Amino acid sequence: MSEHQLVFATPPDDVNTVHDFLESVWGDDTTLTDEERMAFELALVELTSNVIEHAAAGEGVACRLSVAITEGELTATISDTAEPGSVSLVGRVMPDEMAEGGRGLALVQLLVDDLGYERVGDSNVWSIRKARPTA
Amino acid sequence: MDLAVEGAGADVAVVRCTGRLNMVSAPALREAVTGAIADGRPRVVVDLAGVDFMDSSGLGALASPSEQVLMVLKLSNIDRILRPHDDVATAFDE
Repeated sequence: MSEHQLVFATPPDDVNTVHDFLESVWGDDTTLTDEERMAFELALVELTSNVIEHAAAGEGVACRLSVAITEGELTATISDTAEPGSVSLVGRVMPDEMAEGGRGLALVQLLVDDLGYERVGDSNVWSIRKARPTA
Repeated sequence: MDLAVEGAGADVAVVRCTGRLNMVSAPALREAVTGAIADGRPRVVVDLAGVDFMDSSGLGALASPSEQVLMVLKLSNIDRILRPHDDVATAFDE
């Protein structure tokens, strides 16, 4: 069982800050498989990219990212200070093959077991959970 | 991410990417691809062998993908139009 936290603000930070943070998280836990790391990192980076992108029109965004690893599951939450979200989470589907965007949240849903969003005070709180393969 | 562009033959450009292909670096790849086309090389081979992470932001512009890149292509049903090749040489065979 381990818990990790990252506080960042964009600008000047960006998704590379999250990658660097995850590298240290993965270094800390030797029980995770390559597949688990790959899938969870992609889900988390997609989610963070989404938060940053939707905040970029405003004055940047401050985020708190928490990652918890237990024997049974991998979970993460990202809370930000951006404007309320207006993104529908239900039944996200892949856009047309030729589309240049709009795949992020649909990908996240393919990669994790649960994707959640709630407005808590002045923050948007995104959460993902992925069950771990049983030994 | 590092990008290197080199010409091959009369009308082909090879764009080699190294590092993370995400929302930070995707605009530079897009620019490299459109730049190569503008320079008279309409056939662009993007070499992803050195990419250790790619997300949906990296899908906008895309040959020899790593396991992580293949996973994103398959999940997105995009592997039919962005056909993975084993290496740059076989990409030229089609």
